[in-house]
Amino acid sequence: MRYLKTSEAAALLNVSPNTLRAWERRFGFPKPQRSPGKHRLFTHGEVAALRDALQEGLSISSAISRAREGLAADANSLVGALVSYERERADAAIEAALALRSVERSVEEVLLPTLDEIARRYSVDSAAWAFAAHWAGDWLRRANRLTPPPVRQTSVVIGDASRDELDRDAPYIHALQLFLVRAGVRVLSLSARGVAGIGDAAAVHRPNLVVVAGGHLDDDTVARWAYAIRLAVGAMPLAIYRRGSERPRVRATGTTVLPPGAGDAQRTLLELLESDQVVASPAAELRQARAARGGR
Amino acid sequence: MTTARTGRPALRLLTAPEYEHAAPAPLVAFCSHCGARPAHPPAPASSSRVCAACGLGLILESRADVAPKAGDAFLVLDRSLAVCALSRGAERLLAALEPNAVNRHVTDLLMPADAEEPDGTSLSTAVAWAARGDGVTRTSVVRPANTFGIRLTARISSCGPPRAALVVLD
Repeated sequence: MRYLKTSEAAALLNVSPNTLRAWERRFGFPKPQRSPGKHRLFTHGEVAALRDALQEGLSISSAISRAREGLAADANSLVGALVSYERERADAAIEAALALRSVERSVEEVLLPTLDEIARRYSVDSAAWAFAAHWAGDWLRRANRLTPPPVRQTSVVIGDASRDELDRDAPYIHALQLFLVRAGVRVLSLSARGVAGIGDAAAVHRPNLVVVAGGHLDDDTVARWAYAIRLAVGAMPLAIYRRGSERPRVRATGTTVLPPGAGDAQRTLLELLESDQVVASPAAELRQARAARGGR
Repeated sequence: MTTARTGRPALRLLTAPEYEHAAPAPLVAFCSHCGARPAHPPAPASSSRVCAACGLGLILESRADVAPKAGDAFLVLDRSLAVCALSRGAERLLAALEPNAVNRHVTDLLMPADAEEPDGTSLSTAVAWAARGDGVTRTSVVRPANTFGIRLTARISSCGPPRAALVVLD
């Protein structure tokens, strides 16, 4: 994936950086990501698509509309591949999407909308959904494995309350896990069904925050799981993700309801992890203590 | 009338003044959003057609006698009668934003308002011909799609590139 700074993207489009920023405000395209220093980073694919569309356009809006259509073709081709049960074609479609976007945007703009479309068209009881959900689960796990090791001293435990891989929430939970790992957070994902041995797992992982994700398990089961974690590592902030807006909530002080989009949820969680609400990581404290002992 | 060579009477074919083609008006460039006419139109080799004045429109060309002026309300439509550009003046007049109006059918924004329009002057016919680049300017009476009691004269002609219909609302 090639990224361009604002000045480079503006030069490629032969406009001023101010014009490019004005387009971002008015049209929301090209949509930059932010570098760690909060500078805009444009994907080369989007800028190149817009440059080509501007050659044939009658207005900036129509050129942007055409460039967007070209980029949306990835989602259509992924839908086509998955409903035809063609794994290789699906891999190729997501690779094509990755050529133009970051992993996060490919998941948010292509993979998850594709699954939503298949679920809407064929229902989650269909063979098409089963194939698509398995493929997406595989792909997200592969992407997770390829992610570099965590760099932040924060960790999150995700209690997966979805039914199984065919649950409609499952890809979103996997996507949130992937986004957190890619943001450098240590993530431990556990089923929210069982509490046996969970104390050991939590004591080793020492989470800063717990997320209960998915709407299949009932609140009593989830509450038992959250209580087991709390017994092992003490009180900590709890966030809930895709539990369903109509469901009565587990009563817990300071519970944060995450937005349904995986990207938005990741951003909210990162803000939470950086806020004062989250205590300093026990794991970090342990590392600092060890470093202090080694320094003496 | 006699011929000079033979001195015998002869007939000569004359063109009626109303059918005589006047010299075509020169082409002028204008911005598809603000309508401003750039002092120096972009060279064909230049890769940027973006308006240097507002940065929100592309530079198009049309005949000088029909081209809009800065601040005019106008639309650019393709041959399928879809909106391709909406000027800043048209955004105000029609209470629609260009990013939302693009790719919508013209009748979502403008409706014919002539009760009895002469043949060939209907809005859709005029736009279709203009988008083909026939070089003729037509007028049609229209009203905003969501408003009654307002009548606007639409001057419909060709513009481009690429070839499209220019509808200037007076």
